[in-house]
Amino acid sequence: MTYTQKRVIANSIVMALSTLSALIGIGFLLWILSILIINGVDALSMTIFLEEGAPPGNESGGLKHALIGQLMLVGYASAFGVPLGIMAGTYLSEYGLKSKLSETIRDISDIMMSAPSIVIGAFVYAIVVAPSGQFSGWAGSIALMIIMLPIILRTTDDMLQLVPSTLREAAFALGTPKYKVITQVVYRGAKAGILTGVMLGVARVAGETAPLLFTSFNDNFLNTDMSQPMASLTVTMYNYATSPYEDWQKLGWAAAFILSMFILTLNILGRLFLLKRKGK
Amino acid sequence: MSSIIDKIFANATKFIAIGVLLLVAWIFSVLFEHSLKSIEAFGFSFLTETKWAPNLEKFGALPAIYGSVVSTFLAMILAVPIAIGIAIFLSEIAHAKIKTPVGVSIELLAAIPSVVYGMWGLFYFVPIIRDMFGGIGISMLTAGIVLSIMILPFMAAVTRDAMNTTPDILKESAYALGGTKWDVIKDIIIPYAKAGIIGSFILALGRAIGETMAVTFVMGNVHKISTDLTQPATSIPVTLANEFAEADSELYFSSLFELSLLLLVISFTIISIAKFYFLRRKRTGQ
Amino acid sequence: MATIVDITEEQALKVKNFEFTYAGSDEPNIKKLTMPIAKHSITALIGPSGCGKTTLLRSFNRMHDLYPANRYSGEIIFKDRNILTKNEDLIKLRTQIGMIFQKPTAFPMSIFDNVAYGLRLQGVKNKTELQDRVEKALQDAAIWQEAKDRLKHDANGLSGGQQQRLCIARAIAVEPEVLLFDEPTSALDPISTAGIEELIVGLKERVSIIIVTHNMQQAARVSDYTGFMYLGELVELSPTEELFVTPKERLTEEYITGKFG
Repeated sequence: MTYTQKRVIANSIVMALSTLSALIGIGFLLWILSILIINGVDALSMTIFLEEGAPPGNESGGLKHALIGQLMLVGYASAFGVPLGIMAGTYLSEYGLKSKLSETIRDISDIMMSAPSIVIGAFVYAIVVAPSGQFSGWAGSIALMIIMLPIILRTTDDMLQLVPSTLREAAFALGTPKYKVITQVVYRGAKAGILTGVMLGVARVAGETAPLLFTSFNDNFLNTDMSQPMASLTVTMYNYATSPYEDWQKLGWAAAFILSMFILTLNILGRLFLLKRKGK
Repeated sequence: MSSIIDKIFANATKFIAIGVLLLVAWIFSVLFEHSLKSIEAFGFSFLTETKWAPNLEKFGALPAIYGSVVSTFLAMILAVPIAIGIAIFLSEIAHAKIKTPVGVSIELLAAIPSVVYGMWGLFYFVPIIRDMFGGIGISMLTAGIVLSIMILPFMAAVTRDAMNTTPDILKESAYALGGTKWDVIKDIIIPYAKAGIIGSFILALGRAIGETMAVTFVMGNVHKISTDLTQPATSIPVTLANEFAEADSELYFSSLFELSLLLLVISFTIISIAKFYFLRRKRTGQ
Repeated sequence: MATIVDITEEQALKVKNFEFTYAGSDEPNIKKLTMPIAKHSITALIGPSGCGKTTLLRSFNRMHDLYPANRYSGEIIFKDRNILTKNEDLIKLRTQIGMIFQKPTAFPMSIFDNVAYGLRLQGVKNKTELQDRVEKALQDAAIWQEAKDRLKHDANGLSGGQQQRLCIARAIAVEPEVLLFDEPTSALDPISTAGIEELIVGLKERVSIIIVTHNMQQAARVSDYTGFMYLGELVELSPTEELFVTPKERLTEEYITGKFG
């Protein structure tokens, strides 16, 4: 057998193995996705949206408390995290740019984006839960906000830097003050990109469970008081799934389905926005 | 008037940006401060002691550290070859019509919350492990496998991206000398994208070691070091997730804070190595 | 109608009724093209962007097969066989027909390993044989003097012009019969360009050369025959001097006098 023949055989083997591993990986992922959809759709019903948690065994429980709690936790986190992240990102791109300070903030934010979120939970426990003596919706929101900040900051920074500097110069040439150039010209140019960043940031924190375990904790009933422990879809999912009760487990799948669909939708929308921007 | 608003706007953004930096410093210092009691009580032996007994006020982190290392290691050895396979498939084998949908689905799967992977592991994978290896199915091995599947989409996507940075013209030059696909992959693409590929793996490792929910369901939180992978075990994040809300003494809390600090330092180090040594950030906008 | 000169000498390649359509396109990029390529001479392909000259060049070593769903028909005859058939051994074909690209493509390895790459693919393992053939190729590509003291160094440390000569050394090391040059000097400065041109002219004793170029002066300087392509068709193929001095087709004349392009 010539060396070239050997190479051709080696090539076929590697190509087959790669395709096989792709099939294995994709197979696993499809398995998870189909289970999520089958169990989720099976568990969906109007009761889920209309009823609060109920003791196990009577089949009348819903997820209303967790859905509303989730919306409040993520909503408050975004209400603070998004503007703060955009402001900080604005500083990096428009004022600091290549300064040592900006570069350090970028580096640290990059690391924080991959840092373990459960540690943020521990931090918030120390600064909010322990001093106030109780788990609370606020503590959960703060944890989520901290996780969201670096994501919004970095995408804002990147997206603003993509705005051509000639656009800024043209505005400055008209005698426009800098804050107006930024808020009226630069933001407008980077609108789609920032919006995508916000959506991805919201999607990311919406799926967080670990930092909520000991901040917002959980509540089996509807609570809209942010100073009290509050239910979330993710922690509810965890508690219900690890419970021995079948109807609770079923609710857990429903929660997993609703949350995953929400997150996937945000991700897909975010991508479409970016595509649209590129298409222009 | 404009110039005052200008100043306020500039300083406000700067203040918040610096705030982000201070926040990170604050996180470290708060975790450290709350760890002090445990550090005083156990010193260095916290890291080497194998006994974690809250009722005896004795806290040794070695089982959790061991569990983190072993489960992450298992996840990596399972995920790395498959991620490379998927990346090769996506960048070099798949037809354009498959490439995009499969590539995008893999990226989307990376966005599915880890708690969902954990649930899948508990309900569908634990029984398989139980049937194959006996025991209760909740084990180090299960955690490693579920973790590997959890990090697979991220790893495959970034490996593919790294491989795709190889210029077409470079690959064509190797084909033009009579190279096969595999020749081109091993001789051109992998050497060219080496830093990016290794960086992606290390980044995935940094994420895996801090991953909580995917493993909490299936690991068991048993503070025991066992070489039998089919036995329940624990890891740093699993211990935190299970015990933080239940801790009932100052020393117990302090030990959990020290675990948090340890986890943060480990992840910070690994991610920094990946980001700064292997993946120099792409500068945009210039 | 096209004017295609009769080539009396031996032919390295014969293109017959070749038609090529890119994936996803309905309009063929090359239309029913017929063209002889003389052996041991240099044939230049010129024409405006999008005329199909690079597409044609990349058909000779079946580069298009790297990307799915490109369609082609007709024949390209090389060594008495049509190389466009399904059974064609592309690995062997590409060692017989080498290629140099628009930009230098030094592989991420040492200078020595770059030149030895094609030889190793063919199974040459003997150390002295490798060394001899690498040295000879580097000498033939006029880069031995600059490279001999740093054969183990990363090839990316060389200048652009040196890298392009390295790529030529890499291509001739496997002793191909035809060399395809795809705008080989478009990324180089004038001095490096002159060096590469001189090298190309020197190579024609051993190989038949086809060169695609944007630069009409380059075609005039180096080639024996020049083909002018326009909208996927070969408008004129003549000895280079004739084509530039007394073009037979009006389109050729308009192009070389800069009326369009």
